[in-house]
Amino acid sequence: MVKKFEDMPGVEWVEGTGEFIIVNVEKCTGCGNCIKVCLANCYEIIDKKSRIRSLEKCMECGACWYSCTEDAINFSWPAGGTGFRTNWG
Amino acid sequence: MDAYDVIVIGAGFGGPVAAKKCAEAGFTTLMIERSGIPGEKVISGLVIPIYGFLFGPEFIRNGNPPIERPICSVVNRFLKNGEIYATDKSLRVPKPITMGYAAYCKPFCTWLADKAVAAGANLRTSTTVTDLILEDGHIRGVITDKGERISAKVVIDAGGTQNPLSIKAGVRRKFDPEAIELYMIWDFEMKKEDVDDVFGHSMEFFHTMPEERMGAPLGYGSTLYFFTYRNSIHPGLGQFLITEGKVPNVAKLLKEYFDNFTSKVTRWNRDIAPKVKLRGTMWDVCPIYAGLLPKDRTMPYYTDGMLIIGDAAGFESAAFGDGVPNAWFSADIAADVAIDAIRADDTSKSFLKRYDERIRANPFIIHTISDTRRWDMRNVLISRDEKEHIKRIHDFWGIGAFKYKYMGGPCIKASVQLIRQNPGIIGEWTKMFQRYFDNWVNNRFDRLSTDQG
Repeated sequence: MVKKFEDMPGVEWVEGTGEFIIVNVEKCTGCGNCIKVCLANCYEIIDKKSRIRSLEKCMECGACWYSCTEDAINFSWPAGGTGFRTNWG
Repeated sequence: MDAYDVIVIGAGFGGPVAAKKCAEAGFTTLMIERSGIPGEKVISGLVIPIYGFLFGPEFIRNGNPPIERPICSVVNRFLKNGEIYATDKSLRVPKPITMGYAAYCKPFCTWLADKAVAAGANLRTSTTVTDLILEDGHIRGVITDKGERISAKVVIDAGGTQNPLSIKAGVRRKFDPEAIELYMIWDFEMKKEDVDDVFGHSMEFFHTMPEERMGAPLGYGSTLYFFTYRNSIHPGLGQFLITEGKVPNVAKLLKEYFDNFTSKVTRWNRDIAPKVKLRGTMWDVCPIYAGLLPKDRTMPYYTDGMLIIGDAAGFESAAFGDGVPNAWFSADIAADVAIDAIRADDTSKSFLKRYDERIRANPFIIHTISDTRRWDMRNVLISRDEKEHIKRIHDFWGIGAFKYKYMGGPCIKASVQLIRQNPGIIGEWTKMFQRYFDNWVNNRFDRLSTDQG
C-alpha cells in the first residue's frame, strides 16, 4: 500500500517500514528536542515522556535521533523498499 | 552464503562510482540499495558544483547524465523589509562554461547506478543492510533485512549521512547535532520560458539579517536559495540542530521563515509566485560542519575490511553544503584502495590506511571540509554590520570565492595534478561544457533503465 497526504505534496510512503525509530522511555527525560526538530509531527509527550505518535509522514532524516542528548532514540533504516519516496529530491 | 569481492552499501551519488570501478577491475561487485529505485530517497536542493565534474570520475565528465539546467552565475540578493537593497552578481561565467549543473537526485543516481551495472556490478534494490558481519573486529560482509548473509572481501559504506551501520559496528558515532543542518526544500513547477526569463542560468540567494526572520542567521544555517531547473524551481533553507547551545524549534522556524519570505518579499510576489505551482515539499539533514568539529572530524572512515565514503564519512563541504563532489572523489579513491587491497590479499586496517592518506592528498576534500567561511558568518550577523555582510558574501558566493585561499588554491593544485597525468584533459573539459549544454538545449540525455517504453 502506498500513502499520500495533501499537506505533503510530491512524496509518497510505502507501508511496511516496521518500527525503525524507537524511544527508550527509561532514558527519555521529556525535554522535547525531538518534537522541536520533527517536521513530520511524529512525536508527542505523554506523562513527561516522548512517544512515537505516528511515523506515517517520517522522511527518515534522523533529526530527532541527532538532537536527543539522552541517547533515548534508536534510529535504523526502514525495511527495504518501504518508507518515503519522491521524484523531486 | 553468497560471496562477492566488494559490497557497496548504497546506490546514491558515491556508491555507484565505487562499484563501477571495482567491477571494471574484474571484481565481483554488489551494490545494495534500500530504496526501490536509486535516488528516490535522496533529498537535496541540488546544483552539483563544477569541480566535481572537472576533477571527478572520467565517465561522468565524458557521459550524458540527466541534468536539469546548466548554472552559469550566482545572484546574491540582500534583503531588508522585503526589498532588495544590494545585489552581488560577480560570480558568473560565459555559456557554455558553468558553475555547476542542477539535477534531480533520482534520475541522476539512476544514471550512475546504470553505469555501474553496465560495467558488471550487480544492483539489489529494496534491500536494507541491517548489520555488518564482524569476525574479530574485521568486517567480512553484510546482513540484509531479508536475513541473508553476504560475504565480501571489502565493504564500501556509501549509506549517506544517517547510516547507522558503522555506528552499530563500533567504528563511528552519530554526528554531533552541532554538525547537522536540517533543511527544507520546496519544488515548484514553472514553465521553462518563465525560468529562462526570471532566472536565466542563475541560481539566486537571498541574504538577510536575523530581524527579517527569513532564514537562520547564516553560520547557523543556509540562506534561502533558489536552484533553477528546466521546468521548475527548487527553493530551500536550513538551520542547524543547535544554535547558541540549544536545540531551537527548527520545525516551526523553517516554516515561519518561508512564510515570511513568500508573504513579504516583492521579488517573490511580483516575479515568481504568479508563475509557479507547488509540486513537492520535503526535507533532510546533512553533516555540513562535521569537518569543523574535532569530535566528528576525528572519527575513523576506514577499518578492517571496510571503507566509508561521502556523507557517511562526513565529507560534506562546510562552506557550501555540497556533498556530491566529495562523494565522487572519495568513492574513486576507495575503489582504488579496495582493488589494491584485494590484489594484495590484505584488507586489514593497516593496508586500508592508504585510503586515509589518499583522502588527505585530495586537493578538495580536506579543503572543503575545513572551510570556515559559513561558520564565521555568524559573527558578522551578530554585529549587524551590513557592509561586512556584503563583503563576506562576495568572498563566499561572489567572485571572491576563487581567491587562492578559498577555492582558487584547490582548483589550481588539482588542475596541475590532472594536467600532468592527462595532458588531454583541457580538451575533455571543453567538450564536456559544450556537450552538456547541447544535451540540455535538446533535452536529450542517456536513456535510463527506469524510462518507459
